[in-house]
Amino acid sequence: MSPPSPAPDWPPAVPSPGPLPRLRLGRPVEGRLSNGVAVMVVARPSVPRLELRLSVPAGAAVGASAATSELLRAGILLGTRELDQGQVSEAVQRLGGSLQVHQDQDRLVISAAALSEAEEELYRLLGALVAGPAFPAPDVATERLKLLEALRQARATPEFPAAERLQQLVYAGHPYGRPEPGEAEIRRVGGEQLARLHRSTFLPGSAQITVVGDVRPVATLERLERGFGGWRGRGRARPVAPVRARRRPWVTLLDRPGSVQTVILAAASAPPMGDPRHLGLQLAAAVLGGGFDSRLMANLREDKGYTYGAITSSELHLRDTLTVTEAQVRTEVTAAAYVELLGELGRLATVPVPDSELADTRRYLAGAQLIFLQTQAGLASALAGVRAHGLDHRYLEHHAQALDALRPEQVLDAAGRHLGPEAVTVVMAGDAARILEPLRRVASVRLEPAPPARLSPAAGPGGRPSRRGRAAAPPPAPRRG
Amino acid sequence: MRPPARPGQPTLRRARLGNGLDVVLSPERSSPTVALGVYYRTGFRLEPEGRTGFAHLFEHLMFQGTRRVPKRAFGRVIGASGGVLNGSTRHDYTNYFEVLPSSALETACFLEADRLQNLEITEETLRNQVDVVKEEVRVNVLNQPYGGFSWLWLSQYAFHTYPNAHNYYGEFGDLEAATVAEAQAFYETWYGPGNASLVLTGDFDPDRALELAERLFGAVPARPDPPRLDVEEAPPESRTEHRHRDPMAPSPKLALGYRTAPFGDPDHLPLALAARILTDGRSSRLQRALVQERQLLLGVNGGPNFPIGDAFEFRGPALFTIEASPRPGVSTAGALAALDEEVARLAREGPSADELMRAKRRELTGYHASVDSRLGRLRRLAELAAVHDRPELVDLLPGRFQAVTEEEVRRAVADWLRPERSTVLHWLPAAGRRGDA
Repeated sequence: MSPPSPAPDWPPAVPSPGPLPRLRLGRPVEGRLSNGVAVMVVARPSVPRLELRLSVPAGAAVGASAATSELLRAGILLGTRELDQGQVSEAVQRLGGSLQVHQDQDRLVISAAALSEAEEELYRLLGALVAGPAFPAPDVATERLKLLEALRQARATPEFPAAERLQQLVYAGHPYGRPEPGEAEIRRVGGEQLARLHRSTFLPGSAQITVVGDVRPVATLERLERGFGGWRGRGRARPVAPVRARRRPWVTLLDRPGSVQTVILAAASAPPMGDPRHLGLQLAAAVLGGGFDSRLMANLREDKGYTYGAITSSELHLRDTLTVTEAQVRTEVTAAAYVELLGELGRLATVPVPDSELADTRRYLAGAQLIFLQTQAGLASALAGVRAHGLDHRYLEHHAQALDALRPEQVLDAAGRHLGPEAVTVVMAGDAARILEPLRRVASVRLEPAPPARLSPAAGPGGRPSRRGRAAAPPPAPRRG
Repeated sequence: MRPPARPGQPTLRRARLGNGLDVVLSPERSSPTVALGVYYRTGFRLEPEGRTGFAHLFEHLMFQGTRRVPKRAFGRVIGASGGVLNGSTRHDYTNYFEVLPSSALETACFLEADRLQNLEITEETLRNQVDVVKEEVRVNVLNQPYGGFSWLWLSQYAFHTYPNAHNYYGEFGDLEAATVAEAQAFYETWYGPGNASLVLTGDFDPDRALELAERLFGAVPARPDPPRLDVEEAPPESRTEHRHRDPMAPSPKLALGYRTAPFGDPDHLPLALAARILTDGRSSRLQRALVQERQLLLGVNGGPNFPIGDAFEFRGPALFTIEASPRPGVSTAGALAALDEEVARLAREGPSADELMRAKRRELTGYHASVDSRLGRLRRLAELAAVHDRPELVDLLPGRFQAVTEEEVRRAVADWLRPERSTVLHWLPAAGRRGDA
């Protein structure tokens, strides 16, 4: 590996920025609806809209099959006995709104927005959807086909199979390691299975609603009660089992014949958000692969030209954080790029990050948070994310200070435990015929055959299912061009 | 419905500096953040023949250092100021932007003014970024199923003159052949202050921001006006169909591109609403009729300049694109026939009052959501300023959308979304290498 190039100095001509503005979120109003839903409302009248997030424990965390939980996500949009899916969509559009359902390994989140003047109607519509979804058989059949096709297409990409295999390896034996559903599993899911999962998942006593926008919080609490008060359900979701992540001390190579690039993923488990060690990890990960001038970008892109981007991101599970470093490099330089990547991991795990680089990175993270929280939508998503972790708005407000208070040895410790070459599990997807031999000079490699390219003869799609669910989304990863 | 005037509603100021730089300011104080964009009026269409991909390659070079700010310092300084940055290349503009805490506005202005004046292009940085761009093409196109599908390939069939019909990402041979002298000439020609708009949105005082622009950007020497190149070409008179095979694609897809109405045409806003009526959401015409009722498609999407942009970001000829994924057992030809029927129905009958009202409500909320985001506001405002010289429209468009009638939508669809003005791309799974079938 070539010696690391030092970060450039601050050019003398460039004016320094003033102090970072303080983050002010406003005072949230909290309450509980009569059916037990925990509510948080923040008035932010920047524009005459509002954003809502409704979150329930779901997915792998409640032990549902991958196919059923993925179809429940789509199934919520299929309407009620009174409104079909087209009428639900029409209703949302008349409110000047939007409606999406996301899911990660722990939660199902309904994201909705509307003009403020339509606040009451939005809550009524959502209340009806969560209380009494209909799952009509022909529509469920179409959603099954869409999911099958989306997975076929995802499995044809280089990155999706690699990410899927990585989760299986790191979280073996835990629900977080559950693979994406297979064809047979999907074909078995019908309206009855969805209704059953809905009953065990959509429990008001385990649900959280977050509203941010041009609203009057006390009136909003009353409106939420009117909209969601009729939603009934008994019991509470069980907490997710603790994670005992595993490390695999070899490179798992998924053969992808003819691939002109190799996907390299290096990931390790770390404590979840809210754990005192989490912040040290966050800072170390940002030094490694956070911004435009991260160490990985500087080395693999700006110095070597091996890749378009090398990025470290975190999947914020409730019980664990999976920190994943990803680069797609051209086939010819796979082994060389892997050596550079390991070198950067090793340097971060053994040599304290210089003070100036640490200060820059703290400010990068604090600024990114200010930017993410500038909109009603960003604040609503961030609050919903921290609330799911049992935290509240104060976690966001104190974040910049908490980063400032971290000592360099805490960052070194976090990097050593959770980012170092002896912590990560590595998965690659690439053309084994061309990369296996050079890779074996620098790593022990277990070759796995290519996943079947086509599950069955079939046709066309929808979006890709997101493998990487995120609780509180960090700002988008930088990609230039 | 007009957007209600509110205390927080942004205001606009515009000025032209002595060197020709267009400055547009839109203060809005609801969060302590700012966005800054510099939009240059050059893009895919204007890159030299034999140098496909050059405009985008040059965008990368703008991050490679200047005589005063060495390579990598730009990214480091923005990051250490708490900001994020990016750039992108489009048909008629190339943009560079930062979103930052408001206390870092001067820092970012300094860096943008510096690279407008002092860019340093070396053999080493050029070769490095040629490698990086080739990896970008591999990661987004060559190593992906459906890579570049309608945005990169459909236009190469739909147009016939070099500015509109070449590979915008660049043939590798052309990228590798690029020289420092060519990059320098491109910079001199297209990156003068008179060919750019500086746009600021967010938390700043407009008087002080204008002073800052004068002080940092006003000192950049003027350059001669760039040539005005004619990129127009006549719309097709008959439909052509093309086949592309993709060994990575598990299933077929279809792209249908109609020549679309230019900005300022009476049909421009009605067509943008027609896109929502046809494809936006589960209640849209195409989703309802073809996904839910007739069960011919699994998915459909589209609109003006879809999927990389919208109705406001282009000046030359452009496409109104529809992408569709047939159900298993349905051919792309079958999907095409069904799409033609539904589009013809809208051209014949027009939208219902309720359909049009819903499309307008979404325009209005989209407008409010963009005002809430520094970058969202910046994008629309800067496109209107840099590409169309009409920044004041940014707050008038919601009202203009509200005024569109059902008959105007019907007529726009009937005039523009005609089969004979369209180009069809069948994207098919296949063994072997990617390319024309």
